[in-house]
Amino acid sequence: MGITKYITKRILQVIPLLILVSLISFFIIRLSPIDPLAELRLNPSISEETLQKEIKRLNLDKPIAIQYISWAKSFVKGDLGYTSDGEKVSVKLKERIPNTLLLTSIVIFLTWMVGIPLGIIAAVKKETAFDRILTVLSSIGMAIPSFFFAILLLMFAVKTGWFPVGGLTSYNFNDMNLFHKFIDLSKHLVLPVAVLFAISLSGLQRQMRANMLEVLDSDYVKFARAKGLSEFKVVFKHALRNAVNPMITLLGFEFAGLLSGAALTEYVFQYPGLGRLILEAVMKSDINLVMASLMIGTIMLILGNLIADILLMLTDPRTRKTQEAK
Amino acid sequence: MKKVIFTIFWLVIIGVGLKCCLRADIPEKEDNVITTPDISKIEYPADNKNIILNGFDYLQSQAPLGRFGGEIVISAIGEGPKTFNPCNTKDATSSAMAGLMFDGLLTTHPKTGKVVPLLAKSYEVNGNDYTIHLRKGIKWTDSKDITADDVMYTYNEIVFKGLGNPSAMDAMMIEGKLPELTKIDNYTVKFTIQKPFAPFLRQLSYPIVPKHYFKPYSDKGASTFNAFLNPDTNPKSIVSNGPFKLKEYVAAQRVVFERNPNYYKVNLNNEKLPYIDKLIYLIVGDTNNEILKFEAKEIDLIGLKGNNVARYKEKEANSDYTIYNLGPDTGTLFLTINLNGRKDKNGKYYVNPVKQKWFQNKNFRQAINYAIDRKSMIQNIAFGVAEPLFTAESLNSIYLNRNLKAISRDKVKAMQLLKDEGFEYKYGKLYDKNGNYVEFDLYTNAGNLEREALGVMIKQDLEELGMKVNFKPIEFNSLVNKLTNTYDWDFAIMGLTGSPLEPHDGKNVWTSTGSLHMFNMRGSSNADSYIYTWEKELDELFGNGALKLNFEERKPIYDRYQEIVYEENPVIYLYSPTRIIAIRKKIKNIFPTPLSGLLYNLDEIYIDKSCPAGTSEVK
Repeated sequence: MGITKYITKRILQVIPLLILVSLISFFIIRLSPIDPLAELRLNPSISEETLQKEIKRLNLDKPIAIQYISWAKSFVKGDLGYTSDGEKVSVKLKERIPNTLLLTSIVIFLTWMVGIPLGIIAAVKKETAFDRILTVLSSIGMAIPSFFFAILLLMFAVKTGWFPVGGLTSYNFNDMNLFHKFIDLSKHLVLPVAVLFAISLSGLQRQMRANMLEVLDSDYVKFARAKGLSEFKVVFKHALRNAVNPMITLLGFEFAGLLSGAALTEYVFQYPGLGRLILEAVMKSDINLVMASLMIGTIMLILGNLIADILLMLTDPRTRKTQEAK
Repeated sequence: MKKVIFTIFWLVIIGVGLKCCLRADIPEKEDNVITTPDISKIEYPADNKNIILNGFDYLQSQAPLGRFGGEIVISAIGEGPKTFNPCNTKDATSSAMAGLMFDGLLTTHPKTGKVVPLLAKSYEVNGNDYTIHLRKGIKWTDSKDITADDVMYTYNEIVFKGLGNPSAMDAMMIEGKLPELTKIDNYTVKFTIQKPFAPFLRQLSYPIVPKHYFKPYSDKGASTFNAFLNPDTNPKSIVSNGPFKLKEYVAAQRVVFERNPNYYKVNLNNEKLPYIDKLIYLIVGDTNNEILKFEAKEIDLIGLKGNNVARYKEKEANSDYTIYNLGPDTGTLFLTINLNGRKDKNGKYYVNPVKQKWFQNKNFRQAINYAIDRKSMIQNIAFGVAEPLFTAESLNSIYLNRNLKAISRDKVKAMQLLKDEGFEYKYGKLYDKNGNYVEFDLYTNAGNLEREALGVMIKQDLEELGMKVNFKPIEFNSLVNKLTNTYDWDFAIMGLTGSPLEPHDGKNVWTSTGSLHMFNMRGSSNADSYIYTWEKELDELFGNGALKLNFEERKPIYDRYQEIVYEENPVIYLYSPTRIIAIRKKIKNIFPTPLSGLLYNLDEIYIDKSCPAGTSEVK
C-alpha cells in the first residue's frame, strides 16, 4: 500500500517538473541567434518562395509562445513532430536508441560486475600492495579524458588492424550468419566499451571502497567481529548490505545516462547512437529533435531516481520506515 | 630503492620530452609537392554510342572491358541521406545517392561539359522546341517499360507543380511561365518554351521517376510526397532506373547499393553494366574519421586536404593507391565588403555613414585587393593545395575569363591608391579626409578553421596599411543572418559553391534583387534605391546572357560580368582549393576530369582482383 501511494505521489510531482524543463529548454533554443534555415539561405539556387515555404512548415513565422503551445500539444499526444529535414523524430530516435542502450547497458553491467567486487577487496585489504595498485590505476582512469583515450584506442586500431575503426557493424553484416554477426558486433563494441568502462569503473570502484571502509569502521562491524563471526560473514552479510545502499542511488543516476550517456565517445568512434544525433541537432537548432531528446533524458532521470528509491526501500528498512511515517 | 625508481621515472619523462622535440619526427616540407594536374596525360575512351540489340536501344560504353563482380566502399561525410526521393533532395549526400538510382533524360559530358543524352536516345533543338526521343525497350527495376508517360508525369505532375524540392521549378520558370510539354508518341516528347533561355537545356537532366510507383503519393499532396521514400523505406519496394538500386540503409552507418540488372548501358562485348556488384557508402561523421578509415583500408577512396596531401604523396610510390589532382574545385573563398547605403525601418543606417564613404569608394576596395597576400595564404593555410582566384567564375568554369590578370601583393600601390583618395597616415595609422581613424569589423563563421586562419592573415595584411581590423568569428547561422537579414556588417569572409557550366546560376549573387546579393542587399520594399551603375550593367548582362543559346554568343557577356567584378571589387576572391583524391589501385577504368571528378562513371569502373593489395603498409 505504502509503495503504490508513494509511487503515484512521485509521478504526480513529475508533471510540473517536465513542464518547467520543457519551457526552459524550448525558449533557450529558440532565443539563441541560430537560424535553422541558414544553410538554405546561403544556397544560390534556393528561391524566396522556397524559403517562405520552409518558414511556414517550421512555424518560424509565429510568436514563440504559440510555437511552444503547439509543440506541447502534439508532444502530449505522443507526436514528436518532424526534424528540420522532414524526417519523423520518432523514427530517428527509434533508429538510434537501441544502439545506445546496447552500448551503455554493456558498460554498466561490466562496471558493476567488476567495480563492486574490486571496491570490496580494496577496502578489506586496505593499505596492501593490491589496494595501492588499484588506487593508482583508478586515478589514471579518472584523470584521462574520455575523448583522448578514445582517440588513442582508435590509433591503436588503425596501426594493428585488429579492430575496425568505428561504427557498429561491417558493411556485409546482413550477409553473415548468426555466429559471425555476433563476432562482428563484439569486435566493433570492444573499443568504445573499453573507453567507457575504464572511466566509469574507476569512479565506482573508489566509491565502493570508501563506503565499505566507512562501514567496516562502524561499531556494529567491530561488534560482529568481537562476537567471533567469520570474516566472510562480517563482510558480506553485515557490512556489504549497508555499504551498497548509496550505490543504488548511483544506479538511479546511471539509468538516466543510459540514453544520453556517452556522446563524446560515440562521436569519436562514429558510433550510431543518440549522443551523436543530439549533438548534430543542437548545432542545427533542430527544435523538435532536441526537445524530444531532452524530454526523454528528463523522464529517464526521474524514472531512474524513482527506481533507485524503490530499490532502496526494499533493501534498507530505515528508508521504508521514514516513508511510512510520512 | 625509492630514489632509484624516481631517477628512472624522471629520466623516462625527460627522454620522452626530448624525443618529442626531435626534428626528424616532424616532416618539414615547404615546397609544393603537387604542381601540375597529372590527369592531363590520361587517355579518355571515346564517347558512348547508341546501339540496338534485339530491338532495344542500349547505350554502349567505349571504355576498356573490365571484370564483373566485387565491391567499392566509399565514404559520405555527415549524417547520411535524408531521403531517397530524387525529387526532394536538398543536400549533397541525398542527391548523390538519388543520382545513382535515377537517371535524367540528358546529362553533362564529363570532359567537355556539353549536354549529351542519357536516358533519352537523342534530342533536337528547333527554335524554342526541344524534342526528346526516348530509348525503346528499356525498363524500370520492376521490369515495366520506361515510356513517354513517365517523362510527362515527372515534369507535369512533380516539377511543374513544385512538389519536393521546388528549386527545379524555379529554374525552369522563364519570366513567370513554365514550359509546355506535349507527348508526340510513346517514345517522343516535346518541350516548348516561351522565349530562348540558355540554362533550360541543362534542366532536362532532372531525374525521371516511374509514374506507376510515384503517382499514388504525388496525388496526395506535398506533405505525403515529401515523406515518400524517406530513409526507412523498404529498399526492395523502390522502383528506379539508374545504374544502382538500393539494397540496404543502416542509420548513421552505411548505405549499400547493388547493381541494377535492368540498366540500359552495355560494354563493348554488349554485356550489361555496371561491373561492380555493390557500392557501399560508409557514413562517417568527420574528415578525421575518414582518414583513419582510409588508412585502415576500410574505404577505397578519399579526398585529401591540406597537409595530408604531402604525407600521402610521399608514400604513394610504394602503396596501394594512386593520387589524382583534379585541379581547382568550384568552391570559392572570398572577402566581401558591405556597400549598403540604405537605412533600416527606424531610419538608422545599416552601415555607419563614416564607413560607407570608405567602402563605397572603388579605390579603397582596390587597395584592399592589392594589400592581400594570396600567395602566403595558399602556402600557409591551404598547404599549397589551392590556386589563387581573381574572378567571379571558378577556375574550372568553361566561362572563365582568362584575360583578367593575376594581382600580386603590392603594398606601395595600395598605399598610393589610398593617398590619392585623401586618406593620410599619422604615426603609421590610416585616417580619412575628415580625420576618422579607419577601423572596421571583419566577420567569418567560427569553427571553420580555414576561414579563421584567413581572417587572421587578412587582418595582418590590412593592418600593414594602417587600418584597424577587428576580426570577429561568429556562429555560422548568426553570420548568415547578418549577411541576408540585418545587413549590419563591414567585411566578411565567406565561401560559395558555383557551377562550372552555367554562369546563370550565379544570378542570385550578382543581380541587384538576388537573394544572395550580399554586398548590397536590399529589402523587397526599396528595390531600386542606391543602385550603382555597374550593378545595373550586371543586371542587364545576366538578363541578356540567359537569352543567348550559343556558347560563343554568351561567352563575351559573361566575360564582361567577370571584368566588372574584377574592377569594382565588391567581392575580393582569395583562392580555390585543389581537389586531390587518393584511390586504390585495384579500381580500374578511372578517367578523372576536372569537371566531373572521379566517380562519375561508376557503371564502367571495375575491380582488378589480380592487383596486389599494396606492397607496403600505410601508416
